[in-house]
Amino acid sequence: MNEILIQLNRVRGVGGCLLVSADGLVMAAALRQNTDENQLAASLGNILESAGKIVSTFGLAKFMNFNAASDQGGVLMIATGPAFLAIVIDPSANLALLQLEAKPFVDRITQRLSL
Amino acid sequence: MESELERLRKKVENFPSASLYNRLAELARTSGSDEEAENVCRRCIKEFPRNGQAYVILAEIELARGKRQDAFQLLHTGIERDPRSYGGHKILSDILVENDDIPGALRHLKQILAFKPNDSAITTRIADLEKKHGVKAASGAHAVLKSTIGNEPLEPFQGPLTTAVKAATSSRGASLDGLCGEIGVRGALVADVHGRVVLTKNLPSGQDELLAALAAEIAKTTQSALTTMGADRLSTWVIGGSAGQVLTFQRDRAFSVVVLADVTVRPAMLELRARQTLIDLGAA
Repeated sequence: MNEILIQLNRVRGVGGCLLVSADGLVMAAALRQNTDENQLAASLGNILESAGKIVSTFGLAKFMNFNAASDQGGVLMIATGPAFLAIVIDPSANLALLQLEAKPFVDRITQRLSL
Repeated sequence: MESELERLRKKVENFPSASLYNRLAELARTSGSDEEAENVCRRCIKEFPRNGQAYVILAEIELARGKRQDAFQLLHTGIERDPRSYGGHKILSDILVENDDIPGALRHLKQILAFKPNDSAITTRIADLEKKHGVKAASGAHAVLKSTIGNEPLEPFQGPLTTAVKAATSSRGASLDGLCGEIGVRGALVADVHGRVVLTKNLPSGQDELLAALAAEIAKTTQSALTTMGADRLSTWVIGGSAGQVLTFQRDRAFSVVVLADVTVRPAMLELRARQTLIDLGAA
């Protein structure tokens, strides 16, 4: 799994990535050295919980992805089977392109997790 | 220092943020270019009107020029827009002490303790002033700030900006019309930083409040995640579902526009409309 994440990190605009369970536990991570993966995963877990409530309350069917942006980058989370792939986005990244380029990695992770 | 200044200038051009503007202005000032610092602060205020530090730097420049009244005015505007401006309250309290307005100075110092309760320098300063002048700060709220004194959390600030929005709620409810008129938009709302609904359109009663509250919760946690990653203020977030999406646009952590839309809607298209809504409301 780590190998997939390391390969994903080579995609342009990706500043790190981690795989978190729906309750915010780190399953695998390939983040920059100064990033606290546990703290980040805990925050992502909280986001997933609130986002899940919105999805169920407002009839959005299945939770597919979440992305947040700021001037200095952002985060993209994509559902990968029972877990979520979180990608740290660099400010220069093209979000639409990145989502497209992340798709094969998401498929590979989903496949691995379903084994 | 010159190379650092140059680096910051380029960075501000490419990725403008309030903190970068502040650093550039402070560095320009340290290197003796008050004029550049002033220009940087004025640009910063235009883009990030709630950044209190820009007002503080401008006030310091005016003070150095001997324009005390202008500095006083700037600091007042600064704390009005950014009630948690440490520098703003601190310098105002110093000016008020010089003007022999000790109760006024104490009020500002106690405002600092409201959001930074364990600041030993401020606690000592308050004790000194009270001892020397035998004055206790009035327990009521400051006339300008209208927030609590002591360790209780600050109430939401009621300044011209927020009152403008509240006033707009009744008279300009049409502000969300443009946004809700877009194809694929099911409903939208404007919420404040605490998740309270300011304005809503096409969302069922009760659900709008829930959406605003959850959006505020997500914004708070996302901001925490972004801080962990070294990014700055959150501006946009999107929850994508297979049968719809929720998009949120915010500015300066004050007000957010939350939109419930179909999956086909492109966030970039709605962003302009959302920003326009905030401008119409006087909140951006």
